[in-house]
Amino acid sequence: MVRRRGQDKGWFQLDNAAMMYSAIQSGTYSAVYRFSAVMAREVDPQALQRAIDRTMPRFPGFHVKIRKGVFWYYFEPDDTPGPYLQPDIQNPCQPVYFQNKDQLIRFFYYRHRISMEVFHALADGGGALVLFKTLLAVYLRELGEEIPNQEGILDVDEAPDPQEWEDAYARYARSRVRLRKSEPRAYPCTGTPEPFYTLNVTMGFVSVQALRQVAKSHGASITEYLAAVLIQSILARQRREGRRRELPVALAIPINLRPYFPTRTMRNFILTVRPSIDPELGDYTLEEIISQVHHHMRLHITRQEMQGVITRNVFFQNFLPLQLVPVPVKNFVVDTAYRLAGNRPYSTTYTNPGAFRVPEQMAPHIQHMEVVLGQSYTPRVNCASISYGDVMEITFAGTVKETDVERDFFRTLVQDGLHVKVTSNRRE
Amino acid sequence: MSYCVNCGVELDKDAARCPLCQTPVVNPVCPVDTTIPPNFPVERREVEPVNRREAAVLLSAVYGVVSLCCVVLNLLFWWRGMPWSAIVAGACAMLWVWTVLPLLLRSVHSIFLVGLDLLAVAGFLWVISMAVDGGSWLGRLALPIWWGCSVVLLFLWYILPLRSILSRCMLVLGSCVVLMLWLELCIDLFLGGYQPMWSLVVAVVGVTLMAPLLIIRYRPDLRREVRRRFHF
Ligand SMILES: [Zn+2]
Repeated sequence: MVRRRGQDKGWFQLDNAAMMYSAIQSGTYSAVYRFSAVMAREVDPQALQRAIDRTMPRFPGFHVKIRKGVFWYYFEPDDTPGPYLQPDIQNPCQPVYFQNKDQLIRFFYYRHRISMEVFHALADGGGALVLFKTLLAVYLRELGEEIPNQEGILDVDEAPDPQEWEDAYARYARSRVRLRKSEPRAYPCTGTPEPFYTLNVTMGFVSVQALRQVAKSHGASITEYLAAVLIQSILARQRREGRRRELPVALAIPINLRPYFPTRTMRNFILTVRPSIDPELGDYTLEEIISQVHHHMRLHITRQEMQGVITRNVFFQNFLPLQLVPVPVKNFVVDTAYRLAGNRPYSTTYTNPGAFRVPEQMAPHIQHMEVVLGQSYTPRVNCASISYGDVMEITFAGTVKETDVERDFFRTLVQDGLHVKVTSNRRE
Repeated sequence: MSYCVNCGVELDKDAARCPLCQTPVVNPVCPVDTTIPPNFPVERREVEPVNRREAAVLLSAVYGVVSLCCVVLNLLFWWRGMPWSAIVAGACAMLWVWTVLPLLLRSVHSIFLVGLDLLAVAGFLWVISMAVDGGSWLGRLALPIWWGCSVVLLFLWYILPLRSILSRCMLVLGSCVVLMLWLELCIDLFLGGYQPMWSLVVAVVGVTLMAPLLIIRYRPDLRREVRRRFHF
């Protein structure tokens, strides 16, 4: 087994998704996402730094450097001290560069908010939330609270388990068919670009209870309902542009594969589904969009189909002629292909890592959770949501000046009888 | 707390306008609270941009070594009677301007870089003319052609990204016509008298192609009609 041999040597391979993320990372793009917890009390930076120092050794896969080999990138354990807690900044999710001093994970604090930014090659949202939850528990213990190791909180005194760092894609690439999906061009929901380092973040807060009721009245889950409302706002935007021929509006929705393929890995283990609506076929009501999204997700999120896609992705990764192409060439090809095609099949991304559950002793110390997706090549907003307790937080983030997508999105929620509270880091 | 009268969403206590639609908040009962700290930090920070200096140094070294080797070889084998290494060195200098400067000057506008690239071409032409000591063709043929190409290229570079497809086609066609006329003028003047021939043919074809485009572009009803007829 290559992986085990690699771990003995003190390095390990990137998984399938990580290879893509590191190949397309560049001066103008990197896949960085942020989770924040807004605490009940103001953050104590000293206690939080102590908590980080105690927690990180349990998660060696997050404290790594990315190195360029001849044929592939690989991870190497980072033996420098850190990561260090920093005061928060207005423009989150700055790109990551693969230079020696750059951390692939960052921690910030601002008043009540604790934030963690992760480079997507390290882990997906599911894996990063395990670290974040454990960190919050350790932090609260530093403040003198009694927090049990429940609800997915790991014991930081245990030794790290190699199974938590397995490449689950490689393990489940066992299908007889290498499934290939056609992904036609979608409406690129782009607007006026801001200077690159500006990330406009707009957050909306909705009651989970009320949202579930509304989604249920439409016969859909919360994710399906929110995705449908997002598609509707993008359709309306395309209509306002007055194009002669309207393109399909398609979302990239990452799906956590862990419920379908048992694994304990904290590295990437996601695939995307692509619900879409083609306005050339005619106008869709919200009801019809919800129904389309609902059935698309139920039809395509199957263990068999996803295994076929994993097999195909991993096949390319292990295909010998491709392996022998040096890294710079590979990067150039993947990057160009992504610029030309990767963004094209999707109008934007919507991700919902689901409910953030904590032990009941921890619950009173956290007000709500927040999630932000980082910068994208093209000036457009992407959408992410996370729920905690009865608060569903929905973020629109992007380097684009216009606010029409999120405006229509939240107005639709208000029209459906939901109470929405909105906040933003935009300054006039 | 205040709500946006336009969107119906609740806003922050310190929000002076709605972040979704920019409608100002006017609430006599609950004025905007400017004393509470903002929900997001105000301080901005930027990570250092990627360091391209290594690549720039490497490329510079390659060009430098190539030029140096050629000069040495040229000095050893001078019997060819021609300082050909100067041409190689000039080409290296031109390539340096083309490839290394974009790495170093990343914040300047691209039109400035294109201008520098064109200047580098002029410099290279000058080096060639000095090396083969044919000074006459440089001033009378090469530089005028270079000048015409530069003006057209810079103009297109500046104006093309802002235009629609129809306008782009017209601009490119028009530029080609102008360039061809200028080219024949330069060549004819160099060879003797100006007798326009082939460039006039090109100009006639170009203008004929442009005329319908121009009409379609500036007559909306016609534009709609063409779209209807051609189904696009
Ligand atoms: Zn508003």
